Amino acid sequence: MSILLLALLGVCLLQSTVAHRLAIGGVQPDLFLVLVFGLSLSTRPELATVGGFLIGLYQDSLSGAPLGLNAFTLSLIGFLVSQLSRQVKTAELGARFALLFLAGITSGLTTLLVLRFFQVFRPVASTILWTVLPAAIYTAILGACLLALPRPRWMRGLGR
Amino acid sequence: MTRLLVRYRRPLILSSTLLLSFVLMTLQVRSLSPLADLTKRILLTTISPILRIAEVSKATTVSLWKEYIDLRRVRRDNQLLREEVRQFRVQVGELQEAAQENSRLNHLLQMGSTSGTETVAAKVIGKDVTNWFRTILIDKGGKEGIQRHMAVVAPEGLVGRVMDVTARASRVQLITDPESSIGCLVQRSRVAGVAAGSQAGTVQIKYLPLMADVVVGDRVITSGMGGIIPKGIPLGKVIRSSRPNGALFQETEVQALADFSRLEEVMVLKRPPEGDLPSGGGKRLP
Repeated sequence: MSILLLALLGVCLLQSTVAHRLAIGGVQPDLFLVLVFGLSLSTRPELATVGGFLIGLYQDSLSGAPLGLNAFTLSLIGFLVSQLSRQVKTAELGARFALLFLAGITSGLTTLLVLRFFQVFRPVASTILWTVLPAAIYTAILGACLLALPRPRWMRGLGR
Repeated sequence: MTRLLVRYRRPLILSSTLLLSFVLMTLQVRSLSPLADLTKRILLTTISPILRIAEVSKATTVSLWKEYIDLRRVRRDNQLLREEVRQFRVQVGELQEAAQENSRLNHLLQMGSTSGTETVAAKVIGKDVTNWFRTILIDKGGKEGIQRHMAVVAPEGLVGRVMDVTARASRVQLITDPESSIGCLVQRSRVAGVAAGSQAGTVQIKYLPLMADVVVGDRVITSGMGGIIPKGIPLGKVIRSSRPNGALFQETEVQALADFSRLEEVMVLKRPPEGDLPSGGGKRLP
């Protein structure tokens, strides 16, 4: 739990201070999604769900999104990735990239749906084309690379 | 019931979190409850100090980095400026040198113009290498119309006369040379004598009568006698005068006005010597 909190703090810092500098064409990587993904690969679905919920809440608190939007999305992602990682091999870089890309697409589509539910309309096609898809690709590349990096012993619980 | 809960814990937890998220969103969107705002504020409060520390750290790092870059730039600028200062100092030295030379040449030209004869400015390119003679070598010779016995002056006064001439250089016998003898006058009392050099490097006035009116400080000028050196060129200043018992003449010592140790440019007065002095083609230097 302490590892998760430290990782969460680190991601909060990185996302709020560094990520916007890494933006390409206005699209920045979603490090919260990478954290949830890493957590989901190494824990049981229920913990991944709760972890995703907490991480999402923090993401909501740092953004202009209504509280619960990212909590909703990330708890769903945490659950799905954790379930899926028990059925497919996720140790390889390519598999992680693909799974993370799918997670990014799911996250984007879910957000779009939830926003639509709350009468916040965004143009679907252009949002998917210019926001959801590039963000999913960018996050998948960066996340797969980050998770492939050698980590200190105390962090090995994430993304095993 | 517990078994059911345990069995379906995963969908239960998922649906609970999704529901909770949904409720939070609904509350916030409809502005019905301060609960969502409070939750958001609490979350933000827990994370904001760390963000602030991170921001301060980042700002400090950026500031340090910029200062480091500035320091490097300052160091490079400093080196460039030092080099510029060095170049400027060299230029200033050269300009000062040129200005001094200009001033000296101006004085020479003034002296040349007052002498009423054609003049040739020359640079001193060598000095006598023995202790027996006091001569200098100048960079003008027969090509410039210089002939033997022509007078050579400096801005302060008489330097000597041309002894030997080559095409492009001439040797000048200084008035302090032991072999030099020039007719002179004490400017104030108009007493005539002969200014002769000495081995000691001073100028003695010979053949001054014992009763002649000469005092220390009197200016001595050329007399024009002998037809070699024009009349009226300042020669020196009396620094010692005595009348020894039993002597026929006064013993008078003169300090030459020109400083021969620092002589750099001179002016040759192109007035040909009068009389039968051998002034033709000039004696060749060895």
